[in-house]
Amino acid sequence: MTSCTVVALALRPHLAATNLAMVYLLGVVIVALLCSSRTSVLVSFLSVAAFDFFCVPPYLTFQVADYEYLVTFGVMLVVALIISTQTARIRRQAQEAVGRQVRTEALYNLSRRLTEQSEDADVARIAEKCAEETFGGAFAIVPKENRKTDPDSHRSPPDQPLVQWVFDHGEKAGHGTERFAEAPALYVPLTGASEMVGVMSVLPPHGEFLNSEQMQFLEVFANQTALAIERIGSQRAAELAQLQVQAEKMRSSLLSAVSHDLRTPLASITGAASTLRLQGDRLEPGTRNELLDSIADESERLSRLVSNLLDMTRLEAGPELRRDLYPIEEIVGTALHRVERQLEHRKVTTQMPETLPMVYADDVLLGQVFLNLLENAIKYSPEGTPIEVSAEATDNAITLEVRDRGSGIAPGEEREIFERFHRGKLNDARGVGLGLAICRAIVEAHQGTIAAYNRAGGGAVFRICLPSQEMR
Amino acid sequence: MNPLILIVEDDPQIRRFLRATLSAEGYVYQEALTAAAGIVQANTRRPDLILLDLGLPDQDGLEVIRRVRESSQMPILILSARGQEKDKVAALDLGADDYIAKPFGVLELLARIRVALRRSAPPSEDRAAIRFGRVEIDFGERIVRVDGQRIHLTRNEYKLLYVLSKHAGKLLTQQQLLNEVWGPNRLDQAQYLRVYIAHLRRKLEADPARPQHLQTEPGVGYRLVVD
Repeated sequence: MTSCTVVALALRPHLAATNLAMVYLLGVVIVALLCSSRTSVLVSFLSVAAFDFFCVPPYLTFQVADYEYLVTFGVMLVVALIISTQTARIRRQAQEAVGRQVRTEALYNLSRRLTEQSEDADVARIAEKCAEETFGGAFAIVPKENRKTDPDSHRSPPDQPLVQWVFDHGEKAGHGTERFAEAPALYVPLTGASEMVGVMSVLPPHGEFLNSEQMQFLEVFANQTALAIERIGSQRAAELAQLQVQAEKMRSSLLSAVSHDLRTPLASITGAASTLRLQGDRLEPGTRNELLDSIADESERLSRLVSNLLDMTRLEAGPELRRDLYPIEEIVGTALHRVERQLEHRKVTTQMPETLPMVYADDVLLGQVFLNLLENAIKYSPEGTPIEVSAEATDNAITLEVRDRGSGIAPGEEREIFERFHRGKLNDARGVGLGLAICRAIVEAHQGTIAAYNRAGGGAVFRICLPSQEMR
Repeated sequence: MNPLILIVEDDPQIRRFLRATLSAEGYVYQEALTAAAGIVQANTRRPDLILLDLGLPDQDGLEVIRRVRESSQMPILILSARGQEKDKVAALDLGADDYIAKPFGVLELLARIRVALRRSAPPSEDRAAIRFGRVEIDFGERIVRVDGQRIHLTRNEYKLLYVLSKHAGKLLTQQQLLNEVWGPNRLDQAQYLRVYIAHLRRKLEADPARPQHLQTEPGVGYRLVVD
């Protein structure tokens, strides 16, 4: 204003008064560009007043000699007002465009990062982070499944009754709304396409209210997040259904395989026992002993079968490993001890260097692997042939082998034998075909691998590789 | 006098089999079908040994061990299903002497009963020396010989071997061994124990990968087998 007046006074001797008005209009344009619309309107009025005071004779008074100047004042005021409001609008629009771009980017960023996620918790975490980057303040998402707030969350725990209220009513509540306006945070329902999937709590920066634009944007944001959470929910439901189908298939193949294997020994036991009860006195002592032996043997077989089935079921469900550091010698030694009786007069050699590192394993389960491999070696190789067990450490793995001199593995069957209910082709085995499947499940639960090979000179090698663990 | 054995088991078939086996071996038996009855009979009849099933209808079998151990050190033998290592360890830590996994054979059962009854006879604990396989331990002189040759054991190795031999035949849990050898502050250091057992095996066993004496019960503990 002052500079306009100075310029106008300097030019007064040279220009017509109406032209001096232009200097003031220029000033109004500049003010409108730089300041708020209210300021520029005020400046418009002041310009007209100053023009009158300084540039219209008689000078330094608001009196006007020539009444034509009233027209000049009127036009000048209208033009100044139009300039200031228009300029302010253009500026606001530009600001909005920038704001829109920022928000679009934020939304794009959010949806891109959300689509990469496959866990509810990750979606919540990412949405919280994105929201904080966009709006400032602190955000927390309470998913529907755990309406109770996560006590480990580093974020300020949302107000439980309010979260519950939003879950019940599906409406916003808290800070800046009509409901519970006294609460420090705002609670926004996360509503997807079909249902509400959670509640987002917003602790506004410095306790300020969000303006209506931010509020609108927040709702879009909440909607995006809700859709992402919903998508993961339906994905999981589909996976679960898939799993159930698989479990159903597994159950039926299990039933068909098992019913035969369970019935056979049961039939022998029932037969032998009833024979003994009915004709016990009349039987030769030798026959009686045979029947008794068969009851004992078949019971043992049945018991082994049931154990295997239970183990397999437990492993299918995702085994709970109780891992610790064990000398591999101890695990092998225990398994050898358990087959001691079946070994009879076989020669068993063990090669275990004293320098072997300890393995980080579940001793019971890994022992089971050796037990199964040793029992197989005994079952599928001729009596009196040797069995070898060895362990060797390389830089990042421990390799364990069980070797026999039996009939080996049929070509092309090296992988299949580890499948459930698969029986080796080269043997008229009387098992269910679970032993090796159990071995594989256990080894894989330890992040290891198991494979079978034929040996030079006849027989089979079962090789287990376990990643070696540093001593913690 | 024939030893009295208290059977605490609710399954009638198992009881029938136990009755037949025990009386054929000349033991006298008494039956309890519930934990509550088991506790009462253990206190009133003072049996020489208890055969205890952990899955009882009224209370956990562990409760029976707890209550019996309040007043008595009589041997307790657990009958447990396979694969319940946690229960076994809990039972042993509460003071049960041993366990036998179902299904079990008669020979195994009778062997365990004999070991438990022998151990409860007091003089065996104060023996001055013990011999098993090629190994001879002289507790008085603190000397260990293998095939007549004196071998060197570190202090902790000897201590561990001493604890195992003092309870020869009994299954000791990792916790019990750690507590007796290293003290109560090292109960979470089971790896120590395993390393020391491995050392002992290398010094005492003919083939450390096929130990005849220092035996592991996976997931539970160790046992020194002397016969």
